[in-house]
Amino acid sequence: MTLRTADNGGPQPDLPRRVRVRRGPSDISFRVLTHAGGVAVLALMTLVGLFLGIRGTEAIVVAGPSFLTEQAWEPNSRRFGVAAVLFGTITIALIAIAVALPLALGTATYICEYAPVRLRRLLVGVVDLMAAIPSVVYGLWGMFWLEGQMIPVAQFISTYFGWIPILRVSQFDPNDPLASPTVFTASAFIAGLVVAMMVAPIAASIMREVFAQAPIGEREGALALGSSKWGMIRSVVYPFGLGGIVGGTMLGLGRALGETVAVYLVISPIFAINWQVLATGTNSISALIALRYGEATPFELSGLMAAGLVLFAITMVINFGAGFVMQRSRSGAAS
Amino acid sequence: MTMTARIVRAWPRLLATVISMAVLAVGISGLANVSQAVADTVHSPIVGSGSTWSANALQTWIRNVWANYQWKITYSESGSTIGRTDFANGTADFGVSEIPYAIANSNEQDSRPNRKYAYMPIVAGGTAFMYNLVIGGKKVSNLRLSGETVAKIFTGVISRWDDPAIKADNPSLALPSIPIVPVVRSDGSGATAQVSIWLRQMYPKYWDAYCGKVGRAPVNGHCGVTSNYPTVAGSGFVSRSGSNGVAGYVAQSHSVGAITFVEYSYALNAGFPVAKLLNAAGYYTEPTAQNVAVALLKAKINENENSADYLTQNLASVYTDSDKRSYPLSSYSYIILPTALEDGFTNDKGVTLADFGAYFLCEGQQSAEVLGYSPLPINLVKAGQKQIQKIPGGNPAIKGIAGCNNPTFSSDGSNKLAKTAPYPPECDKQGATQCATGTGGAKESTAQSGSGTDAASQSGTAVGADGTAGAATGAGVGGITSGQQVSGTPQSIPQARLTTTAYASMAAAGALLLGFSVAPPLLRTRGRHTWFRRDGWRKRR
Repeated sequence: MTLRTADNGGPQPDLPRRVRVRRGPSDISFRVLTHAGGVAVLALMTLVGLFLGIRGTEAIVVAGPSFLTEQAWEPNSRRFGVAAVLFGTITIALIAIAVALPLALGTATYICEYAPVRLRRLLVGVVDLMAAIPSVVYGLWGMFWLEGQMIPVAQFISTYFGWIPILRVSQFDPNDPLASPTVFTASAFIAGLVVAMMVAPIAASIMREVFAQAPIGEREGALALGSSKWGMIRSVVYPFGLGGIVGGTMLGLGRALGETVAVYLVISPIFAINWQVLATGTNSISALIALRYGEATPFELSGLMAAGLVLFAITMVINFGAGFVMQRSRSGAAS
Repeated sequence: MTMTARIVRAWPRLLATVISMAVLAVGISGLANVSQAVADTVHSPIVGSGSTWSANALQTWIRNVWANYQWKITYSESGSTIGRTDFANGTADFGVSEIPYAIANSNEQDSRPNRKYAYMPIVAGGTAFMYNLVIGGKKVSNLRLSGETVAKIFTGVISRWDDPAIKADNPSLALPSIPIVPVVRSDGSGATAQVSIWLRQMYPKYWDAYCGKVGRAPVNGHCGVTSNYPTVAGSGFVSRSGSNGVAGYVAQSHSVGAITFVEYSYALNAGFPVAKLLNAAGYYTEPTAQNVAVALLKAKINENENSADYLTQNLASVYTDSDKRSYPLSSYSYIILPTALEDGFTNDKGVTLADFGAYFLCEGQQSAEVLGYSPLPINLVKAGQKQIQKIPGGNPAIKGIAGCNNPTFSSDGSNKLAKTAPYPPECDKQGATQCATGTGGAKESTAQSGSGTDAASQSGTAVGADGTAGAATGAGVGGITSGQQVSGTPQSIPQARLTTTAYASMAAAGALLLGFSVAPPLLRTRGRHTWFRRDGWRKRR
């Protein structure tokens, strides 16, 4: 109906009623508070980015485009770049995610779908507790315990899968009985495993929350059509929770990229691109900053700020990507 | 679950956290008031940062003053470089560093801080070469190395244990052909700086060549002094942060072939041997308290009170000391004291810092030897006592030399510890014989495995069966052997008198913390049930 006929005259255009919202004081204060919170978060992020950009300009100007391609880090000799540290950061994060993704997916599926209710509550608590352990504890655990346990594993992989270039350790000869196992210590692989233990609980709890929201109607429908439980999970829960799986993984990746103390304790920092992930020596931007900020020169600090800016940018891109994927998915839109 | 629901659910927990924090704060301040009431002057808590080289001594002293006097001192073992920076930035009340600010010929452009400061030596010690080497299933504990061999190892010139240079130092060991894994510090460290000063002065040939390999520009004609040990990727070097990091790496059972430079005390604590280092007199020595004391008789201390580097060390003559007992890599560690009320330093903090200084210059030095360090000699204790009087607000009780009870003090002013230091046995002389006795934290002796003359028969000790630390035969020098006497002075321990209010607030804080940690899960469980009921299908299952 587009026209309304009035008694006193001809047709009149249909005007929407003016809606007047009268908000109570509690509504107003709540709105102000939430708006302020949202704006403050954005402002803080911008300020951090600006700060890093301004402080890092000096070094970036001196280094020029070679800042992204140079592997060495000798700012006092004006020869420095993030190529090696960036490569190390990404390898550690990828190894971490490769291990954490199946672990988190399995944990979330079990807790959400298979575990008895009583056990479920306990498991949720345990996973949350894992997320709450400080990273220095993971670092010390990795340094003093995990490394020794992982050497035979790394040795096995490099012996039987050494034909894959990245799994080769050129200093290790499987036929030499005197070969030293120390070539497998302090590697990107071990650092990645430690970081995986830290990101898995975060990813798992996000996935669990999303899986729990899978619509009951569709679940029942799948079961009614003769699907097995696993079939129902594959055809209903996983497609519905895809946004959560991707989002949780990306958030985990963001944390893995920025992880400092645990990586710093485990790795043996080098300033060269090391494709052999099982061999000693890797590096990460955050570990570089933690190790070198003690130097007093303002120029070196500027170089570290520039490296921080690179990390900041990468983390932002990944987190935005995660947000984008989550919002476009069914489960993400609902939450 | 909607956003608001999540907030509503999180709200009680948040509230609980805030309240319990507040209560805890009340409890702590109640405690602080109590300890303040006991003493006449207020000892404010202080924070320090720096060297891990001298951390074992400092942490022991800090525990002692807390147990005896309730002076709260927090020391973070972050490495000398960060210690100097933290002091300069004002985030630490005192810094601890092996090297002073703006050291000569440095690769790093370290500048002096803007705040007023003074250096004071805290303890002496030897930078030891701790290693993990096994021959025929038995841990080696009597390795000897010349300075040149060490320089070759840490510059990647030699990379296998059966290198002729190491064989020449160790005639009685059949060295295996396994790779040497030099372990260096990854963080900015004073121990690295000390080693690089030594390498630059004594073995410039190797050190300069290494600089070329890692792509560092020379400083004043030679490879510079550095706090950040450079490594070549893929060279088999391993870098770890902190003294605990490098010592912990070497002590792992899989790290056979690893060697690192670290303070002697770390080797004692880890139960691992240290290499005996060849001195200019042709003897291989261990960094025991006495050998370090002998070596440091040759240290040149800056005695110009107006200099910015007053009391700092020049170790050039220590490296070349021709005393048979001298350990070449001996040095002093320094505390950086604030001398003005700036950067948050208050008179009350000054009271704590000055009293702590007075404590470790006298009583603290008595435990140096047992911990793996060497006590300060009389001239540095006297100079240090003058330095702590520069701390604003401080009113330290300066003990006379007689009351100090320092093991180096003697009536005639000479260094008693150095004077009574035993001369090394002839088997420690460079040549075809080699002592079998253990070193560092591994006192068991090593059986002969090579062709040279074994000196085990001379000392009459047997091979330790299980290879554990200190399972030992009395031949060990220094370290914590069972028979060692520790001198001590009686301490009066002031008792903290707790008032009823303090007890009540502590009990309340504890109860609330417990309550708030138990309550939220319980409340949450109830909430969960209604949620299930609403969902329906879960309940039916």
